[in-house]
Parts: sequence; structure tokens; C-alpha cells
Amino acid sequence: MSDLTEIRPELVVTSGGRSSAPRDAGDRIDPVTTEILRQSLVAAAEQMKRALMRTSFSPIIHEVLDFAAALYDRDVCMLSQADSLPAFMGTMSFCVEAAVEAVGGPEALEPGDIVVYNVPYGSGSHPQDASLVMPVFVAGQLIGYSAIKAHWLDIGAKDPYCTDTVDVFQEGMVLPGVKLCVRGEMVPDVLRLILANSRVPKVVEGDINATVVGVRTGAAALARIVERHGIETFERGVQQVYEYGERLVRTWIQSLPDGRYVGHASMDSDGITDELITFETAMEIDGSTVRIDFSASPPQTAGPINCPLPATVSSARVAIAQLAGGGEAPNEGFFRPIEVITRPGTLFHALSPAPCFLYGWAAEQAMEGLFGSIAAVAPEGIPADSGGDVCALVWWGDRNRRGEAWADGAAHPIGQGAHTGGDGASALMHHSEAATRLAPVEVWEARNPWVVERLALARDSGGAGRYRGGLGVDVTFRLLEDAWLTSALEHTKRVPQGFAGGGTARANAIALELPDGTTEGFGKVTRMRVPTGAAVHLRTGGGGGYGDPSERDPEAVRDDLRKGYVSEEHVREHYPHVVLD
Amino acid sequence: MWSLTSPVIVVEQMLNLMYRRMMEQTGSSAPSIGVDVGGTFTDLVWRGGTAGDIRAGKLPSTPHSPDEGVLALVDHAVPREALERAAVFVHGTTVGLNALLQGRRPVIGLVCTEGLRDVLEIGRGNRGEAFNLLWKPNPPLVPRDLRLEVRERILGDGSVRDPLRLADVAAVLERCEALGAESIAVALINAYANPEHELAVEAELRRLGYEGHVSLSHRISGEYREYERTCTTIVDAIVRGPMGSYLRRLEAGLAERGFTGEVLVTRSGGGAMTFADAQQRPVETILSGPVAGAIATAQLARRLGLPSAIAADVGGTSFDTCLITDGEVPVLYEGEILGLPLQVPWVDVRSIGAGGGSIAYLDAGGRLGVGPRSAGAQPGPACYGRGGTEPTVTDAALLLGMLPQQLASGMALDADAAERAFAPIGEALEMSTRALAEGVMRIAAASMAEAIRTITVEHGKDPREAALVAFGGAGPQFGTLLAEELDIRTIVVPPLAGNFSAWGLLNVDLAQTVSRTVLLPLDEHAIERVEGHAAELFAGMAQDGDVRQELRLDMRYVGQEHTLTIEVPWRDGAVGSDAGAIAADFERDYARAFQHVTGEPVEVLNVRALVRAVATEPPDDGPAPAPAAAALHGGTTAWSFASQQHLTFPVLERDAVAAGEWTQGPAIVVEPTATTYIDTNVRFRASDGGALILERQA
Repeated sequence: MSDLTEIRPELVVTSGGRSSAPRDAGDRIDPVTTEILRQSLVAAAEQMKRALMRTSFSPIIHEVLDFAAALYDRDVCMLSQADSLPAFMGTMSFCVEAAVEAVGGPEALEPGDIVVYNVPYGSGSHPQDASLVMPVFVAGQLIGYSAIKAHWLDIGAKDPYCTDTVDVFQEGMVLPGVKLCVRGEMVPDVLRLILANSRVPKVVEGDINATVVGVRTGAAALARIVERHGIETFERGVQQVYEYGERLVRTWIQSLPDGRYVGHASMDSDGITDELITFETAMEIDGSTVRIDFSASPPQTAGPINCPLPATVSSARVAIAQLAGGGEAPNEGFFRPIEVITRPGTLFHALSPAPCFLYGWAAEQAMEGLFGSIAAVAPEGIPADSGGDVCALVWWGDRNRRGEAWADGAAHPIGQGAHTGGDGASALMHHSEAATRLAPVEVWEARNPWVVERLALARDSGGAGRYRGGLGVDVTFRLLEDAWLTSALEHTKRVPQGFAGGGTARANAIALELPDGTTEGFGKVTRMRVPTGAAVHLRTGGGGGYGDPSERDPEAVRDDLRKGYVSEEHVREHYPHVVLD
Repeated sequence: MWSLTSPVIVVEQMLNLMYRRMMEQTGSSAPSIGVDVGGTFTDLVWRGGTAGDIRAGKLPSTPHSPDEGVLALVDHAVPREALERAAVFVHGTTVGLNALLQGRRPVIGLVCTEGLRDVLEIGRGNRGEAFNLLWKPNPPLVPRDLRLEVRERILGDGSVRDPLRLADVAAVLERCEALGAESIAVALINAYANPEHELAVEAELRRLGYEGHVSLSHRISGEYREYERTCTTIVDAIVRGPMGSYLRRLEAGLAERGFTGEVLVTRSGGGAMTFADAQQRPVETILSGPVAGAIATAQLARRLGLPSAIAADVGGTSFDTCLITDGEVPVLYEGEILGLPLQVPWVDVRSIGAGGGSIAYLDAGGRLGVGPRSAGAQPGPACYGRGGTEPTVTDAALLLGMLPQQLASGMALDADAAERAFAPIGEALEMSTRALAEGVMRIAAASMAEAIRTITVEHGKDPREAALVAFGGAGPQFGTLLAEELDIRTIVVPPLAGNFSAWGLLNVDLAQTVSRTVLLPLDEHAIERVEGHAAELFAGMAQDGDVRQELRLDMRYVGQEHTLTIEVPWRDGAVGSDAGAIAADFERDYARAFQHVTGEPVEVLNVRALVRAVATEPPDDGPAPAPAAAALHGGTTAWSFASQQHLTFPVLERDAVAAGEWTQGPAIVVEPTATTYIDTNVRFRASDGGALILERQA
């Protein structure tokens, strides 16, 4: 890949943001045109997202928003993106580059072509998350790309969702960058090949069609913008758009003292054995550059928690955009102050055929570990630990053994860490799945053979502190028919930490209660049988507290007690200064 | 922008010959009054019983008690004897929205299914801002100690899994009374499929002597999705009190003044409802404000025969837009307000924070931006001289000569203050005031244009094929800029552009809708079951007078999430079509919307019943009137965006623009409530109905 430079034989440095190809300096474009360009590009990405959602078939796209949509220039710099799944957004440049390279480079592309790509080491996701990449031409000249990565419900992994794969070939059909559309026409053989490898071909077909509509909408919108301003003005103007973003992030980095901040994190297991895997990452602040160093990480594991390089870089991009971007939607400029250091063959730079179905999980843990260390110098704007996982459960079965397959998958909300500005939020999705929505109980029960007996905030699950951590949730699914379950639950062995004297919170947990009443806890599991009448109890983690609990306003404690966010016992233990009514 | 810049002021006028002609043709003789209460101004349009007797009025809104502003405006603009004869008073209001935004929220007890009392607080778990780590939702509408569980459980198929324990209802009531609940709402899981437990809770509360108001979720919305249905129920309960007392005060005030006709309120989903209905289902009025502009645009599009029209309503703080196709307003069946989902029909009007008061700024990265922050009416733009120091869109328009320095109201605008406000940004960017002012107008226009583009893309339409209908105080100023951005050829500035939303209220239909989630396969038994549900839904609605019943079905392929809403023939209590024909209609619309089809079986998710009492529609425009002599105010120097230079723009009275004949721009056309800016590459004329037609030449 063009942006990789080796500094030592065994280490790889990847720029978080891509540079633009050198061009004539030329005149600067006026700030008005630049702002109009920026607005149009943000709106174009939003139009792509809406076209995809409007035409999507499955709830994975429409309800869960398990996709990212972005526009790139011809140097594969990100022009704009639509708010959806941040974890995908940061990987997309790799997908575009790899997809284009696979079909023979930019010269091999023609107007109307769409390339489909899902090789995990190039895409930074599991094969279910497939990218469609469409080149955009204006007056016969390639000016950029329109790309969407969306979760396909099934593409033929060993199970509908896996936590125990031992190589990539168990993880789903691999599409190494092939043209799904040629000059505007769908290639029927490619589509048939894909659908023949899916357990739910109708759903996947509907969503592929919607994704095609989405990338075409983005391509048309980008072409229109370029036509309106002219290629020259467009290309110069977007450089200035990137510059603004870069300046925003560099200003934040410069406000931190130079130094090396080390974060500690762990994974419960690699999915094959039950051993805890710990690792250390470092963040180096160097003037206005931030270097995220994954080089001390352990070798790639036997189970599927390995991160391909794009997933590692994505986690760094997303974290910095969230910390430093002032809440604004990022573009390539936001990523340019970032450098990522990895060692090939390790957990954060996995090489083929290492299994990587749970590709991004370890990187998310690493980032939260880094938040902890950086908070020491930048307390504002950084929350204490959250429940720390997307809490993904995937279910499937056969309705009444009639051969009617059903499947459903969901992320579940967790408690968020408290921070200098106040209590942590309760029951929100992990920040890497920010826009993902929990399905309504009534929709679930209309589709799936279960009763949700409980979906409630979990009392005492947030860490104590001057500001209290947000609460996790308790969910109980009672099965009305036999079903299968894969749980990718992480962060069950280490409790979320508080900051600045704040207390710890409860960790994630899940248990199976059989009809005879016996109950057994588990964490990551694939294809677990849940018989009729059994219940699955998911208990998601809370957020850590911020500041010394003895400084919490007594009235806030009494209010929490009145509302049942905390128990009397919890108050006596953590807030002895509070006099109860 | 005139609406913003008129500090007070009542504008009223006997409208000119063209309006009068239009009125002669409406054939409608009953006087009627339309009043639209906006955030900044309250607008009124009154149509008398005799031809051409039309008045428009405008006064500042009185947010603390909006009825005062409405009645003051009625006193000012409508003569008493006319009010006495008026048959209809139609009202669009943001009272419900304001109650939700700023009002004291009543204490409401919420009865929930055991294990699921946190539905309101957990919501859907998603973050409002993807790149803000500290994002937090607003506090739940009902605090947790007032969300009280009862043991009961109904399943998705409507069967009872656990019977309701009546003893729990007594405990709930005791708790509600202890906590001072002013009303009780009941939202139980799967009540859409079987309401018997909600009804039983109500009956038990009454048996126990509870006399307060009880809201049952299945009565507010018959659709599934517990968070959305519960939110809708609570919002209804919150706005009920303020809306009821407001409507009663207004009704009494009108009665005191001799009004004896029918009082109507517009619904968020289009059409109007009686005050009595609005007090019953106040949640349906919550966004009735912006809807009036969409309805008015639809009426105008029908009259002018425009197959596709874009409403562009520019006010002081917001820009509202809506795509009208074949003269119909687009209706969605779920809306959102303040991040709260509402299961009520909703005219698809999109708003962004861009208007005359939008503030220009430089951000930390040195980027020049405009809005959404607004100077509002107080302190207002810098040129108002009321203490505003930040540069706004209105200041930019003044500096470009798009606004006169002396308004018709007599208010003088301070160009020096506007210039001073822009100075710091101008210095930082090394731009002249003129270039900066032009840039601010272009950025504001571009953001409005993107909002328009987004709604047209969503409907699979090309904006270039639509006409732009520009109205609201600042709309006519932005018309040509927007058309330029979107490559639109035709711009229509409607009669009474500054009061156009109120004008739209004069011809609104009476409508009422209810819906129910049924989730049944579209097979040979479907028709009978749909008829059963529809008959029950229609039976629950008003049937007085000459009403039309309409039946719609939300359908989708099995396994799909999205639905398409299809109207099916409904006559004398029967569906006038079979399952095969309905499936064929669905497939045809599906292919159009989704650009592909699949062979999967189809299911019906929701049944929607609507009754409508149709208002008399004005007939088509007649022949063109003779051209009138141009009443010129002379000229003014203004910036031409098309020619990139200052030019002398003739200033014309709106009434003096001739029908039929094209006049080449530039020009500035003035009327009491708006100013139309016409650049050099645009020609203009009046339509027979009094609309100003602008045509952009490429």
C-alpha cells in the first residue's frame, strides 16, 4: 500500500490520513466556494445514506444502520461521510484502494462499473461486511469514488455468526475485488455466485440492490458537484476543506503536553481458549502529531480476535475524530495528524490466514485503554470507561421446525462513563456503533419466537463518583421455540474503571437458564442451543464513575435512590456522607 | 426578510385587481379567516363574502400567550361585522410544540408492563451525534419513579400470557396520588395487538374512584413499536392541558367578538380538525405550523397545473421545504420532534436553521459558516440597531442593496452597523465587505439548496424538473439564488408571499385518520380481514355531513422492514379490489421506489383509515387581465450575482407587475410583507391568478 513506509524491518508506520498527490500550487479558492463545496459534499454523502436506507430490504440496514457511506477523491482521500457506523467509516479508504487495485487499477475502471470487495485483511472487517466501490467520472476523467460498506446478513461462514473460527476460510465467502456491475449493467453470474453462498439469499439480494442504488446516488451527486464547480476549482477547493479539518485536530493535539501515554487493555479470550489476553498500547503526543503505537502487542491469536491493519487504523481514526473533531463530521484532513505503528503478524496487524471474524473488538479495547491514560492530561471531553463492548448476540432457528429459517442479530446498549461535565449516559450503544438502534420489543416478538421478559436499567451497575457512571441494562429473552445463539460478548472479566477517584462499574455478563432452573454463565460462544422454555439473561456493563464519591451532591444521590438507579445498600457503601430520608 | 425587519407592524391592504379577479372565480361566498402563528410573527389572511374583499395582517407573535396575538390581529384586520358573518376560522399553531419545548410539564404517572418500565428511558439506544463521546439524551418524558409496573403480559399475536393483576392497579394509583400525578397514561407491551389489559387498567382506575384524565396508548396509536407509541402517548398527555386551555380561550375570545362559525386547527398530517377534535387528540396538531405552507403550495400547484413544485419558505430563523407532486402533499406516518418519535401522520416538511437572522461566523479551523445559530427577533440583525453585533444574512442582503435602507414600515436600517458587524471576519479572511456579503448569501442559499436536493433525491425526483415556490418573509429574496443553485427554471412567488401559509389555510380539507398494526399475509383471506379492521376504524370516526372515506394499507415483502403505503378502493364498507390486484399495485409502486422487485410473498403491516370533508377548491384561473401601468419607485443600486457588478435595479410595486407580458430583470418588486429580488438573467410576469412568475434564462 502506497502509504506504508517501513521504519524498521519489523515495524510498519501507517499515516492515519492520506496525502494528496502533488499538484500545482495555483491560486487558493475563496472561502465561500470552499464552504459551499464542503456543504455539498456532506449533503451528497447524506443523500447516499438515505437512498440506501430507503431501498434496503433488511432491518440490519434500515433499523440497525450497520453500514457506512462515504465519498473519496481520486487520491482516495475521504471527501465526506454520512453518520452511521464509525467503525466502518475509518476502514473505507482501504477498501476503495484494494478494490480498485484488484481489478487492475484506476485504468481498468469505466463509468458505471461497481466493484465488490470483502477480503478481511484489506477491508478491516469480516466477510459479511462487503464494500461496493463505484468510480466517478466527469468528462471521461476519473475524479473520485462512491463507496458503501454494509453488513450482509449471511455470506456463508461456518455459522451465521462466529467466535471460534481458526482461519479466514471458515468466515465466509471471499470476494477479492470483482466487478459486480460493468458499464452500468449488473453481472448476473457474480450475483448468482454470491447468493448461492448465503443462507438468506433473498435478503442479501435486496440489500445488494439497495447498496447499488446508494453508490449510484453518491456517484451522481459527486459528479454534479464537480461539474458545477469545474474539476480545477473542485480539486483545489477540497484541499482547503481537508486543511480546515487537519487544523481543527492539530489544534487539539497541540493543546496536550508532549509525551508518551500508555494504555492497558485486555480481551477475555481469543474465542478458542479461555485465557485472558492483555496488551499495551501507547499514544505519543509530539507537537501537533499523535502517534498510536500498537507495536508491543502479542502475536496474532489462534481464535478470531485478530485485527487486520485497516481495522486498527480505523479505531485510531475514529477515536481521534471523536476526541479532537469538536463533534463535526470528519474528512481526510482529520486523520492526517495521526500515525499508527504496528508489527505485522501481531494482534493488531494480522496476516492471512489468521482468523479475524471479531476484527475490531481488540482495537476498541485498546482505544478505551488509551482514553484512560490520556484523560490524565486532558480530563475535559474524555469519559471514564464504558461497558466496553457492542454486546452482540446473533440468533437463528427454524420456525416450528417447518423449514422457515429465521435469524436476528443485535448490539445492546451499555452504560457510559462519567466525565468532568456530569453523569455518564445510561443504556447507549458503544461509541463504535453510535447510530445503531435497538429493535423494539414488539417488533422482536412479532418476528422471533421469544418473549422479552425484562429490558430494564440495571440498578447499581454504574460506578460511584462525584459524577455517577451510566447504567447498563438487564435483558431476559424467554424462548418459545428451540433456537441457536452466538454470543460475541467481550469485557466480561475486567470491570470498567472510573477516573479521578471514581468507582468501578459492573462488567458485562450473560447466562443461560435452562427450563429445569439450572443456570450457567458464558461469554463468547458459537451456535449454542437454547431449548424451548430456556431463558438467556444478558447483563450489560455500566460506566465508570468520575471523581471522589464523597463529593457527590447529596440531593443527586437521594434522587438516584428515589428513581431506583441505586439501592440503599449501594448508597451506604459508597456515599456515607449522604443522610437518607 | 421584510417580515423580520417590520418591527411591529400591521400590514393590511385591499388587494389589487388580480387578487380580486381570483376571488371572483373561487365561487366561494362564505367568509373565512386563516391565521398562522409562527415563532416570530402571526399572519392572517381574511377572505370576505364579496369578491375581492381580502385582507392580510401581520403582528408579532406573543409566545407567552399566543391567543392574545391572534385576537389582537383579528381585531386589527377583520371588521366586526365581517367576523360575525365568517363561517370558518382556520388556525395553524405551534402551541403544542412550545408546550413541549418550554412549558411546565405536567406530572404524569405511566403504567407499564412488569419488567419493561424503562422503555421511555432506554429508547432505541442510539446516539444523536456519532462523533460526540459525551452525547447524552434528554431526560425521559416521565421520570423513573412515576413509571409504575403492573403484572400482566400480552404477546405479539394478541394472546394473553399473564392476566392483569388488578391489585397492582390499586398500588399504582396509590403511588400516583402520593407523587402528585395530574394524569395517568397506560402503555402496555403489545397493546396494539390486544387492548384488553389497557382497557382493564382504565376500568379499574375508575372503579377505584380516579377522576383524572387517563390516556391509553392503543387509543393514541394503533401501531407497534412500544417506545414510539409510548412517546406519542406521553407527548399527547403533555400538550393536552396547554392546548385545551389555549383553544378554549381562543374560542371564547372569538365568540366575544361575535364569531359564530366553525373553528378548525390544521393537523401535522395535512387537512384540518375541529377544535373539539384537537382537544381530544392534541398530538396531531404538534407541527401544524409548517404544514400550512405545504398545503398552500399544493393548492397553488394544482391551480397553476405544476406537476412538481418545491415549497421554499424562508423565515427569520428557519427554512422549511417540501416537495409537492401532482398537487398532493407528501405524508409520512412517523415523525420526530426534539428527537422524540411520534406515531402520527406527518406532512414531510424539512426544516433547517437558515433564515434572515442566521449568523455568519469563523470556526476554530478558520472555516466561514452561516447558521444555524440565529439572532432571532431579539436582538435581531445588526442593521436593526437593537444591540445586535453579529453579522446576519439580513445584514448581508442590506449591504448588497437587496433591501431598501428605509422600509415601508418607516423603520430605517443601519448599513454602517451591518458593515461594522462584518468587519472582523472580513479582516481575518482579507475579503471586502461586498465579497463577504455576497458569500454569506451564497452559503445560506447553498445550504437551503442542499435541503431541497435531499428531499427530492429521497423521492427519486430531479429538482430541475420542479418549479420553486418561494414565500415567507425572506423567501422571495432567495428565489433566484436557490434556482441558480439547483438549476431550476421557474420560480413562483405566490400572492401574499409573506402571509402565504395563512392563505393556504382558507381552503383546507377537514380530515381525520386512525391506523392499526395488523401484520397479516396478503392472501385470499386478507380482504375480509382488512375489511373487518377498516370497518372498526371508520366506525370510531366522525361521519357528519358530506365526507369521503379513504383506505390505505402499509405493505411490504415478508422479511422486509420498510413498507409502502398504497391506497385501495373503498366503497360502502367494502374493498373494491382483490388480493391479486392489490399485490400488483404494490409491485408497481415497489419497482418505482426500490428500483427492483423480488418474488417474495407480500404482507399487510398497517391499515390506515381516513375520512375527509373536502373544501371547495377555487376553479382554474381565467383569461389574462389587461397589462397595468408600471408603478415605479425609481431605482436602487444593488449587487447582481449573475453579472457580478453593481447595477441600478428598478423598484416596482407588486400590483403593477403585468400579467402575460414578460419583463426582463433586474428588478426589485416590493409588497408589504416581502421583497422579491430579480437578477439580470431572469424575466418575470404575473400569472392570471396573481402569482409572480420568474423564469431563469441559462
